[in-house]
Amino acid sequence: MTSRAVRLTIGAVVVVAGLLLIGGVAWASQAGDGPEQPIAFMHTVHAEQNDIDCVFCHRTVETGAEASVPAVEQCMFCHNVINDENPKVTDPFYRAEIAKLEAYAENNEPIDWVRVHVMPDHVRFVHAAHIKAGFECATCHGDVGSMERVKQVRSLNMGDCVACHRENDAPTDCTICHR
Amino acid sequence: MRQAQEEHPQDTDKPVASIGRRWGMVVDLDRCTGCQACVVACHAENNIALNLEDVVLQQRAINWIRIERYWEGEYPNVKARFLPMFCQHCNNAPCEPVCPVYATYHNQEGLNVQVYNRCIGTRYCANNCPYHARFFNFWERDLDDTHREYLNPNVTVRTKGIMEKCTFCVQRIRKSEWERRQADEELQDGDVNPACVQACPTDTLVFGNLEDEESRVAKLAQNKRHYRVLEELGTDTNVVYLKKVDPHASETAPAHA
Repeated sequence: MTSRAVRLTIGAVVVVAGLLLIGGVAWASQAGDGPEQPIAFMHTVHAEQNDIDCVFCHRTVETGAEASVPAVEQCMFCHNVINDENPKVTDPFYRAEIAKLEAYAENNEPIDWVRVHVMPDHVRFVHAAHIKAGFECATCHGDVGSMERVKQVRSLNMGDCVACHRENDAPTDCTICHR
Repeated sequence: MRQAQEEHPQDTDKPVASIGRRWGMVVDLDRCTGCQACVVACHAENNIALNLEDVVLQQRAINWIRIERYWEGEYPNVKARFLPMFCQHCNNAPCEPVCPVYATYHNQEGLNVQVYNRCIGTRYCANNCPYHARFFNFWERDLDDTHREYLNPNVTVRTKGIMEKCTFCVQRIRKSEWERRQADEELQDGDVNPACVQACPTDTLVFGNLEDEESRVAKLAQNKRHYRVLEELGTDTNVVYLKKVDPHASETAPAHA
């Protein structure tokens, strides 16, 4: 082989390896955990171990279109007491994460959570209507209580929505979601 | 919806089997002062792009509702006539059969629906609309963070290359629907008001269900002054106009053929 061919081969191998790496990372983040959040908020601790109802934090889910992510103040209702100096919080990892929350509260800064369930701009989803129809949060969001990092479990593409609407005799007119 | 696809709209008397609801509007021209409050309200509600001077000069301005102005008579005996014009939500809509991708269709509530994510921008519908109620997005919206703050979150921001038009504020219809459903109630007459109707200071515009005989809009539509714009085209619109009352009309108006 000429030196040019060798260089080309090495280049091709590097490119392929790079693509595999990127693809692998993307696949792992799809299959494994959801995106990394500014604070390692554990639904396992809140929803599962301490059995806090979804609506306690996601307050507007029964009344509005959005499920609403709580404001920092709302976190601090509890974490004023369950702070990083609380003797019952023994795990240094949790202490560190709670300290991050307290820093946000002290600086009057909102937490820039990474959105997990992203809908296209031409889709309007109304949480309240679906809760009213008797669906559990888990129907679409899966068992969030068992997720250390929240991830999307259903495709939530149009076929997914329409199939469920048909099964449940819900309207399938375009304007129900697209307006 | 499935039924509508199996049966071609042109084969039947009414395009889609009704579900006891046919949204419509009555425009009482005797009340209209041409103040344009409806135009402003519509722009704010529906995230309509700003029509800057160059856009207007290119005749590419987007106005889901506009006030058409007609002059009558010779100076000094001149009269201005106003006619609010918007999508007439025709039951036999010329725009619907020409769309190659079903981006515009008639739904079971009598609405002529434009589905933005289906539209591929052939503009056939706009060419076929006798009311000039459809508008094409020639440009992408240039929205910075400040602009995004004053968008209505319930309405899609249309991208470049698709058609748009009056929706009878379908987002408000849906909102009223689920608000009533939350309370286990039926939708009442007067629950739903598009932005133009809400803004109208003289009560020119009345919106409601034309199939409910008790509704305000259905009663007004029976008024003896009623007519439909370009009725002779057979578009069977869901918008009914009430003629202006003018005792001196015969003095200034040109004689009808």
